[in-house]
Amino acid sequence: MKESLLDILRCPMDKHELELEDAEYGENGDEIVAGTLVCVECGERYRIEDGIPNLLPPDMREETPA
Amino acid sequence: MGDRQDRSDDRSRRDTVRDTYDRIASHFASTREYAWPEVEAFVDQQTAVDEGIGLDLGCGNCRHAELLAALDGVGPVVGLDVSRGLLETGRKRAREREFAVGLVQGDAATLPLVDDCVGVGIYVATLHHLPTRESRRRSLDELARVLAPGGRALVSAWSTAHSSFDETEGFDTTIEWTLPDGETVDRFYHIYAPDEFEADLRASDLELLEWELSSGNCYATVAGDGGGGEVDAQSVDY
Repeated sequence: MKESLLDILRCPMDKHELELEDAEYGENGDEIVAGTLVCVECGERYRIEDGIPNLLPPDMREETPA
Repeated sequence: MGDRQDRSDDRSRRDTVRDTYDRIASHFASTREYAWPEVEAFVDQQTAVDEGIGLDLGCGNCRHAELLAALDGVGPVVGLDVSRGLLETGRKRAREREFAVGLVQGDAATLPLVDDCVGVGIYVATLHHLPTRESRRRSLDELARVLAPGGRALVSAWSTAHSSFDETEGFDTTIEWTLPDGETVDRFYHIYAPDEFEADLRASDLELLEWELSSGNCYATVAGDGGGGEVDAQSVDY
């Protein structure tokens, strides 16, 4: 995902902003391929997996990624 | 207690829809090559968009995100889907056809987007997979929340007007998807009665601008909760 996408992405639960942690960038530098998005309000953590953020509510997420 | 049980059933059925689409993703996407003409017509009308992103909600293989990406004036395009498998088919299509789309895994009833960010939205053939009326209404309210003032979206759902159905009232059902090897996988659908579709839209935070039946689907053009005031209600054909 592009870092600019963070401007519009929000925590699905409380709609607060997300902070990027542990970001890994792709070869050309403008794509985040892995990392974690953390809600500044509730602290819920959402993983970026293979470049796609998983922003499903916690109870719709699979416990162990396939 | 009953409420909690409903919520838990709702969740598990939505998980099932996600798992189903993860399983059938590649084959499903291969049969969804072309954009729907109703969606093309809607996108063609969106000539006055000068702010906000394009959103393909329930994007599947991103065939409609592709239309949004080609639209003048629209910002970045986001494709959101519950199924990781379908998002992968969207990534493949975007790569092959060289259009830009930001992919997000998310739930249509709990949108991970900021208020008022969407200039043009497409929400087709997705609402009917949400398993309860409460979750379907919540997703319509969420769409209203994220639509920018002046933003427009097209919402569609399968309806009892389709020739496949004899029913006249809305109902829940499962419809089989047959994989190339003959294996079948069930998908949950709520088939809307047309007047039920209209009632759910009117009960939501969306402003219903017009709606029609086409090819057995209900289609509604909507504005968000803060927009659409400039539209002359007299000119709108309900």
